[in-house]
Amino acid sequence: MLKKLESVLMPLAEKIGKNKYLIAVRDGFLLSMPLLIVGSFFLLIANFPIPGWTHFWARFFGDGWTSYFSKPTDATFSIMAVLAVVGIGYSFSEQMHVDKLFGAAISMVCWFLIMPYKILTEGSSVSGIPLNWVGSKGIFVGIIVAFLSVHIYAWVNKKGWVIRMPDGVPPTVAKSFSALIPAGVAVLVFFIINIVFAMTTYGDAFTFIFTILQTPLLRLGNTLPAMVIAYIFLHLFWFFGVNGGSVVGAVFNPILQTLSAGNLAALQAGQPLPNIISQQFQDLFATFGGCGSTLSLLIAMLLFCRSKRVKELGKLALIPGVFGINEPLVFGLPIVLNPMVLIPFMLVPTVNIVISYICMSIGLVPLCSGYAIPWTMPVIISGFLATGWQGAVLQFLLLILGVFLYMPFIKMMDRQYLADEAKGDDDKDGDDIDFDDLSFDDL
Amino acid sequence: MKIVMIYDQIQSGLGTKDDQMVPLTGKKGPIGPAVMMEPYLAQTEGHVEACLCCGSGTFLADPGEVSRKLCAMVNKLKPDVVMCGPAFNYQDYAAMCAKVALDIHRSTDVKAFAAMSEENEEIIKAYKAQVVIVRTPKKGGPGLNSALKNMCDMAKALAQGDDISGFKDRFCF
Repeated sequence: MLKKLESVLMPLAEKIGKNKYLIAVRDGFLLSMPLLIVGSFFLLIANFPIPGWTHFWARFFGDGWTSYFSKPTDATFSIMAVLAVVGIGYSFSEQMHVDKLFGAAISMVCWFLIMPYKILTEGSSVSGIPLNWVGSKGIFVGIIVAFLSVHIYAWVNKKGWVIRMPDGVPPTVAKSFSALIPAGVAVLVFFIINIVFAMTTYGDAFTFIFTILQTPLLRLGNTLPAMVIAYIFLHLFWFFGVNGGSVVGAVFNPILQTLSAGNLAALQAGQPLPNIISQQFQDLFATFGGCGSTLSLLIAMLLFCRSKRVKELGKLALIPGVFGINEPLVFGLPIVLNPMVLIPFMLVPTVNIVISYICMSIGLVPLCSGYAIPWTMPVIISGFLATGWQGAVLQFLLLILGVFLYMPFIKMMDRQYLADEAKGDDDKDGDDIDFDDLSFDDL
Repeated sequence: MKIVMIYDQIQSGLGTKDDQMVPLTGKKGPIGPAVMMEPYLAQTEGHVEACLCCGSGTFLADPGEVSRKLCAMVNKLKPDVVMCGPAFNYQDYAAMCAKVALDIHRSTDVKAFAAMSEENEEIIKAYKAQVVIVRTPKKGGPGLNSALKNMCDMAKALAQGDDISGFKDRFCF
């Protein structure tokens, strides 16, 4: 059974891990990550999840104090699609072996080329770059444009249709000339695409992609079954020793991040948050202490186990575990290829997801506000920052529930280790082999 | 079947990539990858008696001397077979595995083989005519399990003196 599963999952993991489009999206989003966290920090100060916070400080700083704090957010979240296009264009150029900087620049230009420079205000429209499309709504178009434009760039390059400079011309100058024709061809293609979309009822490519692709995909991603299935796969990959987060995340994270950005935009606009599932829901409520929600396992190990091996490992893994890093457990306990912990390893995150989803959908716990809180933020604090005190309480309860779900399984392992250790003590004549014992004759 | 493993500081868990000067030492019983091999060892009735470990830098400082000591210890422990590896794509460790396997083969009656990934091209080219080298993946992940199983199968075949030409075609360099 396990063997069969492995023979299906491993080639899949390898394919996803080597797929240049998925790698480009994954690495491309990394460009925006630190900036979004910084932006979140300012927004969090302005909207700290304590009732009356804004009014309290308004007494000292005046009513408009929060508007200054939303400026860094405007400069990061509100234009996150720009960062995504540049990042994906850059990393995809690396995959396609063309100049990365030009690839990123061409992607961005082509993306702006098909964007309608029109802002609607009460019936009439003025000319300008719409914040609407440079934020989360423009991400999917951005991904497609980055792939297509870099493909064109690489294709023209490969054909050899480039201007070559004689030796002696500085390399940067030569590079910029050699990008001239590929850039021209890419712009021409998107010039035509723009005209074609203008003739449709959608009016432009952004509206088309948003309605046809982004909205249905986000709707699908924002469901409980999608999240549960994604996480079951993620943990199966981990069980076989493959970083499940990076495999499943390559497909799922763009959707989650867009959902988060949707929540944040609503928060800034003072509207109710639309999405239960989001990046923060995944990072902060599905698992605590890394994949498998192993912080619960760690607590169970430290509280209920007696074998030296489990206890020592528990102590060693505790500090990284608090910050969501659990490699010591995954490979040390081990969880990888250990059928004894497979059941709770997949069950605990699923239970977390289902309970959190229900709590949020019936309004017991507010939805995640979309602040980019790093996944390394310790549990309870992270829940508080993302949703308020209700989230912290939910995290705490789920953490404890996880301890009890893991307990029977880890105790089973513990008993076995204890027996091994007792046996080991009996025939122990020193565990180490000493090379100083070698005599001259041995050599 | 009694087995001895040869590890570097990383596989033995005695150090990190940077702790290259871990001195020559050994542990009784299985540690490192041998623990992951346990299900396959059970199938082949193998038992890891001891794991001999040495930092890759310690080896490189004096390959001849380190290898001589390892051979002497192997001779003293008298296992049926010695597994040198899995070295994955760690070049220094792969070099140690290949040389030590060859020296054990030459200077003792014990059977030995090495295991590493295809990234160690030059070492494989230099040694594959004289040493059995089992193919492993570059790191963990796809193919690791089958590689560990192949190592156990190879160990059993060598220990029993079976014909290994089939195995050599299937999973060796």
